[in-house]
Amino acid sequence: MNKWFKSGSPWIWLSAGGVSISLISVLGLLWLIASRGLSYFWPSELYQFELTDQHGAKSVVIGEIYDREQIPVSQLAHLNLALDPEQEILERLLIKTGNRELVSLDFRWLLSHNIQKTQTPKDLVVVERRTNGNFYGFIESVVVDGKEVDKNKLSELLTRVDNFQEQIDDLQKSDIGAINYQLERLRLKTRKYQLQDKLTPELQAQIDSEIATLNQEYALLEQELMGYREEISRDHIVMRAMDGQLVTINFEYILKVTFNNQLNIIEKTGLFFSHIASFLIEDPREANTEGGVFPAIFGTVLMVLLMTVIVSPFGVIAAIYLHEYAGKNAFTKLLRIAVINLAGVPSIVYGVFGLGFFVYMVGGSLDQLFYSENLPSPTFGTPGVLWSALTLAILTLPVVIVSTEEGLSRIPSAMRHGSLALGATKAETLWRIILPIASPAIMTGIILAIARAAGEVAPLMLVGVVKMAPNLPLDGNFPFLHLDRKFMHLGFHIYDVGFQSPNVEAARPLVYATALLLVSIIVALNMTAVSIRNKLRERYKMLEH
Amino acid sequence: MISISPKALATGSDTTIEKKLDLTNLTPEQVALDINKLNLFYGKKQALNNITMSIPKGQVTAFIGPSGCGKSTLLRSINRMNDLVDNCHISGEINLHGSNIYDKHVDVAELRRKVGMVFQRPNPFPKTIYENVVYGLRIMGENNRRRLDEAAEQSLRSAALWNEVKDRLHESALGLSGGQQQRLVIARAIAIQPEVLLLDEPTSALDPISTLTIEELINDLKKQFTVVIVTHNMQQAARVSDQTAFMYMGDLIEYSDTNTLFTTPLKKKTEDYITGRYG
Repeated sequence: MNKWFKSGSPWIWLSAGGVSISLISVLGLLWLIASRGLSYFWPSELYQFELTDQHGAKSVVIGEIYDREQIPVSQLAHLNLALDPEQEILERLLIKTGNRELVSLDFRWLLSHNIQKTQTPKDLVVVERRTNGNFYGFIESVVVDGKEVDKNKLSELLTRVDNFQEQIDDLQKSDIGAINYQLERLRLKTRKYQLQDKLTPELQAQIDSEIATLNQEYALLEQELMGYREEISRDHIVMRAMDGQLVTINFEYILKVTFNNQLNIIEKTGLFFSHIASFLIEDPREANTEGGVFPAIFGTVLMVLLMTVIVSPFGVIAAIYLHEYAGKNAFTKLLRIAVINLAGVPSIVYGVFGLGFFVYMVGGSLDQLFYSENLPSPTFGTPGVLWSALTLAILTLPVVIVSTEEGLSRIPSAMRHGSLALGATKAETLWRIILPIASPAIMTGIILAIARAAGEVAPLMLVGVVKMAPNLPLDGNFPFLHLDRKFMHLGFHIYDVGFQSPNVEAARPLVYATALLLVSIIVALNMTAVSIRNKLRERYKMLEH
Repeated sequence: MISISPKALATGSDTTIEKKLDLTNLTPEQVALDINKLNLFYGKKQALNNITMSIPKGQVTAFIGPSGCGKSTLLRSINRMNDLVDNCHISGEINLHGSNIYDKHVDVAELRRKVGMVFQRPNPFPKTIYENVVYGLRIMGENNRRRLDEAAEQSLRSAALWNEVKDRLHESALGLSGGQQQRLVIARAIAIQPEVLLLDEPTSALDPISTLTIEELINDLKKQFTVVIVTHNMQQAARVSDQTAFMYMGDLIEYSDTNTLFTTPLKKKTEDYITGRYG
């Protein structure tokens, strides 16, 4: 035994155990998020349960099984169930029943004890809608222009509506959006002239005529829009819900009608991927609990990229100064310790700083100087994507500084001496020799910065993230990149959907799916940076002395 | 002038000296560097004591001595590489063309272009062979492709490396062997046409064959440049140099032409060292 200890094996086992535990917890985390998140997209079987409760009342429930739970009988004593005395555990099912207009809660628990009969009828459908969530039931009839038609025509009719819907979205987003933007610009222009006392009647007339033209265009577009609206609201379907009630659903609210129980595995897989695709590219609906997360993906990536662009030069310059030019004295040491300690400051503190300094001070002054026509409504003096990127840049600055400095100090002095001995100045040596060799270390700093910044939510809540941003920070209106706009962020989206939404139970899978997406995006950003670093490493490989 | 046959280089004996220089009494045209009462301190510790010597033009001068005797320090003083060492103080002067390189308004970068240096370990930059050679020229602002090409070829030929690398000029210099790298570094140093070339134990990290190649190269180089070499290998000093200075504990003990120093040293310490009694 003593020999075994001396051989060092226990320490090898101990360290291997430590590694395994970390690995298992990471994989477990990913597995949990992935399985829960991805199951959200899988078209699940639709069930029809026939129930008899303890009082003998019969009812029918239609829906998807969301969860199963084992509960001890003792907890259900108050229900006075007629149970076998031997039985200690009962199963309970969480059913998503949808049909929000009929029942207030679209989830309910069923005791498996009460279920008399479980069926999966082939003609049971789930209707995904723009409002009120899913509807589960049977199609009673399809009505076109007031006349009932064959049910098989449904998919054809749905495609027609989809086309119109696309045109409507196009009109609203690009054309009407652009007109609104121009109108707003004209309003600001007028206001600016007024403030400067330069508003001559001619100018006023010119602006008025421009406004009139825009309004005319707007009226035309609106007419077109109304036309499409009329087209899509022409038809409707009548559905029979689980309790036999008939419900009319207008086509304008229908996104998709699926006969889940008729699908084979290939069709299900196809549907699974199309669900994922629409999750990635669509806008959210219903207070973010339905639909996609595209604006959040866009906001997260844009903000992280902006942050990287800001933090890299500053971090590198600061590190160069600290390492190459600052005197090697107590003050430099103090400075270095301060930089390292900055990395330990809680992120919310940076958020407070960003709000106080960037938003109110810098942004407020910018508004006074350049955007006075818009006051009292602020342009830059309010949280926005630029301030978020800047705040996170400060938050991640220490990381970049520390790893760049580390990289600089690892470069053998022979490199510097070689360059200096050839008549290069210190600055030339830095620029031509030292920085290229240190670039992999700089990339390491940037990778760490991205990893930290992409996962940060708390400070962003103060300096720019919102639950629902009407416009992306990037669009077709000049100057295209609107750094003053608020944006959506996946991290905040998770918090919002999971804890602030009206129906937490319904939103839980979405939380997992969004978390999985956030992790994937951070991994993707990191992988890109890592591969750049590896290329640089290969190129500036040092001699192994 | 001294001529050494390749055979003599290989065996390290039989050097024939045609004409001896009187090192204490050189004419100004014969002097490349004039070191005058040079004292150097690292902090409070004195590393060089009152060194006075003249290094003749177009010859190879070797500094020998045991480790820590100050030979490298003296070499590094000549192109002011010691400036990079914190709290290094220097008094006295080193004259190049009659002007003191430690003068206040001397441009150090300019000086280092005139006094090139090759270090103990080959230190090619992580760039291509070509970019390594033309680095100094690029620093000087030369960007004409044709002139750079010419200079690269000429320097590589002078450094006896051209034939080995001419087909892979644009590959990484780090793929070369140690001896090739050292010759590349020499090519890099002579590409900017310095007047003086300082070699700080240029072969101590190399195998015997590479060492031999470098030694032959040094013999060729002195036709164009004044070469100052530091070595702890006495045979090497005997093989390659025209003049030899023996240093001990920061003092210049003896400085004369190589043949005299190795055959009839005047000082006891020199004799003890070259006969291997310490060092």
